Amino acid sequence: MISVTSLAFVSMILFSIGAIGVISRRNIFVIYMSLEMMLNGVNLFLVTFARYHFNMDPQIITIMVIAIAAAEAAIFLSVIILLFRSKKSLDTDIFNTLTQGEKS
Amino acid sequence: MVDLLFIGLALLSIGGAVAMIAYSNPMYSALGVLISMLSVAGIFALLNATFLFMVQIIVYAGAIMTLILFILMFLNIKEEDLPKEPNKFKFIALGAAIMIPLNVLVIKAVSKLPSKDLLLTETTFGDIGPVGMQLYNNWLVAFELISILLLVALIGAVVLAKKRTKRVKPVGEAS
Amino acid sequence: MNTNLLIWIILAPLLGAILNGAFYFYSIKKKKISDLTFSLIGTISPFIAFVVTLSLFLRMNDEGIIFKQNLFTWLHIDKLDIDMALLGDNLSIFMAMFVTFVGWMIHIYAVGYMKGDKGFGKFFAYFNLFLASMLILVLADNPIILFIGWEGVGVCSYLLIKFYYGKKENVIAANKAFIVNRVGDFGFLLGVVTLFFAMGEVNLSFASIEANLGNASPELLTLAGFLLFVGAMGKSAQIPLYVWLPDAMAGPTPISALIHAATMVTAGVYMVARFHFLYIDLANVGLFIAYIGAFSAMLAAFIATRQNDIKKILAYSTMSQLGYMFIAVGLGFYSTGLFHVFTHAFFKAMLFMGAGGVIMALHHQQDIFKIAQHRASLPIIGFTFLIGVIAISGIPPFSGFFSKDAILAAAFQEGEYLIWAMAMFTAFLTAFYMFRLYFIVFVAPSPIQKKYVYTPMTVTIPLLILSIGAFGAGFLNFPAIFGGEHFVDHWLIQLDSKTIHLSHTTEYILMIVSVAVAASGIFVAYKKYANFDVMKPEEEVGLIGNKFYVDEIYDVVFVKSLKKLSTFVDKVLDEKIIDGFIMNSANGFINIGKKVAMLQNANVRFYAAFMLVGMMCVFVYIYITLGL
Repeated sequence: MISVTSLAFVSMILFSIGAIGVISRRNIFVIYMSLEMMLNGVNLFLVTFARYHFNMDPQIITIMVIAIAAAEAAIFLSVIILLFRSKKSLDTDIFNTLTQGEKS
Repeated sequence: MVDLLFIGLALLSIGGAVAMIAYSNPMYSALGVLISMLSVAGIFALLNATFLFMVQIIVYAGAIMTLILFILMFLNIKEEDLPKEPNKFKFIALGAAIMIPLNVLVIKAVSKLPSKDLLLTETTFGDIGPVGMQLYNNWLVAFELISILLLVALIGAVVLAKKRTKRVKPVGEAS
Repeated sequence: MNTNLLIWIILAPLLGAILNGAFYFYSIKKKKISDLTFSLIGTISPFIAFVVTLSLFLRMNDEGIIFKQNLFTWLHIDKLDIDMALLGDNLSIFMAMFVTFVGWMIHIYAVGYMKGDKGFGKFFAYFNLFLASMLILVLADNPIILFIGWEGVGVCSYLLIKFYYGKKENVIAANKAFIVNRVGDFGFLLGVVTLFFAMGEVNLSFASIEANLGNASPELLTLAGFLLFVGAMGKSAQIPLYVWLPDAMAGPTPISALIHAATMVTAGVYMVARFHFLYIDLANVGLFIAYIGAFSAMLAAFIATRQNDIKKILAYSTMSQLGYMFIAVGLGFYSTGLFHVFTHAFFKAMLFMGAGGVIMALHHQQDIFKIAQHRASLPIIGFTFLIGVIAISGIPPFSGFFSKDAILAAAFQEGEYLIWAMAMFTAFLTAFYMFRLYFIVFVAPSPIQKKYVYTPMTVTIPLLILSIGAFGAGFLNFPAIFGGEHFVDHWLIQLDSKTIHLSHTTEYILMIVSVAVAASGIFVAYKKYANFDVMKPEEEVGLIGNKFYVDEIYDVVFVKSLKKLSTFVDKVLDEKIIDGFIMNSANGFINIGKKVAMLQNANVRFYAAFMLVGMMCVFVYIYITLGL
């Protein structure tokens, strides 16, 4: 039952759910966690192919990805704290100063 | 039996992911992610990546998710701080529709590969020794750079979290 | 032969008009100029035109030549060649003779009539301009120049009808005259264009049209003939374009006398005679013209029996007599019709001038019953009026008898008995209503003492001169059965008109019948109106009194429907559909822009979603090209 296809299937599902979460949820925490979910899915994919080809390189890459995710977590969460302190809200849609809005 | 294990772990991970995007309370989402991480760690173990299984649990589930839960509870989020998401499920459906092509492409491509049995083997393939050897022989530069990245992240987190003593000058004022 | 004199017939009144106009402007802006200057210029210019015409006429009579004058080439575009040329042949000089003479008489009369009017100089400027346009019409060498004169007389008619522009009804009447005339003008222009194309686009002078008539197909010629007659219908007030003529009486009496009696309204008859070479072959169109003439004559006579305004009665009588003229030219008797034009000019102008004298003496009162109630003693006017009324009723030996009888004989000879019967009945009605007018205004006993009112000599002398014409003009075409010379018929021999060839007995019988009919009309009028109680006037009621409601019908059918159509086009087509289309396209662009601008809403998730969509398009492409 463990075939490459099914493993790839699982990893793509995780990736897709992560992508969906990034674009459809407004809560900043959920966005971050979806981001991590995407990385998770990619990790799984890499490890599958490491086992498939008996090659060590994808596993090393996976270690790198995990390390980067950790670094990103530190920065991300600091920024979340800063944003929450200034806006008192966890909504990502309130940051719209990049556009002028409808002034006809 | 390994098959059953795999199926169970897979379902758990997918269920955790779904729970993450379905719940509005971020606490529940975080717990869903946690379950998903742990299940993926289990699948790593099934795929002969024993070192990665450890790393996943220690770093991802142990450090990152703990940090997230810590920040969640630190910010003391009340019900009214949470954003109102009225069309959450509609957007989720829309996103699912968007993501279909990639999935179809990858799975079709992967299914063309010659099938192999991916059962657990008795080699030292994913052990910590061979991983270390690879890391320090072939991937040295990447390894060093990763450490610098972690240093930068550390400094950055400290800088960002510092209390500002004076206000940031708005654009246009004479310096 | 070429001469330089023809242009002076036109230039004299034209220069008179320009001078009068210039002096009038000067008099209202700077210093007042006396009426004498205006009247001198205004009366000398038609006199000069008359003298030139008379000299040319005498030369033509002696030598038997015709005059031409080519001024310059006006247009030369591809196949269209129009020269500004004047033609002084028998027909033109004949018309020009009585136009200038009667015009001169009426100009003299107008000096007395318009005395003391504020726009005296303006009046004479317009009047001279009218005469110049009429002479252009008559002396034209090709239909385009004729059309210049045609339009010119229309414009001057408009300017003069609304001369008393203080009253709004006068301006409306002038508008009506001009617009109805325009409908006719459109038909005329279409006729000329049809002729131009039918003949294969040759030079457009009358002589060349006559020469090239064989090129055209009969259907196109019929169409052209009909369309040209539409112009005549408008200008000469026949059915259905006659409604402007009674309203045109709003203008001062001199212009009613000149324009709407003697000259402008006869332009249609002149035009048909000028195109005789076209109408001779078109028997159907000619018959149509004759029937229109007969119906117009009868309709006008009916309406005139119940009118109470002195000038309106005379207007309807003009329309009726024009019907007679069209009967004649329609049936091919061109010179007979033109002879009636000639005699009619004299007696109708005189009748109008007499009516003007009465109106003036009674301080601009036009209702015949009110005139009768306050009757003044006007012996000369009464006398000349009586002559005119007898002439128009067709009693020998006055001029109207000869011309009208010739027309009746023509209809009888052609076998058109219905037209003959209608014309006879109209003669009865004509005698009836004209004598009704005469009896009520001059004869019926009035309770008020007659007081003598002085009329100036400028009024009475032209009346007397024209009365001589009304009496004697008939002798110019004295029929052969009385041993006459048929001078007019011989003079107009160029027209190839049909002549009367009845046996002498038939002619005598017809003459006696027409005299008897006229006499019976006079008798009935005498019985009814000679002792009429003028204190109880007849009202203008009933079908006839309301002019058969034609004006109202026209209003509903044409004016209101056009107005609805215009309103529809304006409010719906223009505002909603066309403007709406344009505005909606413009607004559509703006709206599309706004919608596209919503793409840039600084929502980062939105941008991320679009990036994802873009990536998915790439993946779809890869999927297809990889052929999985």
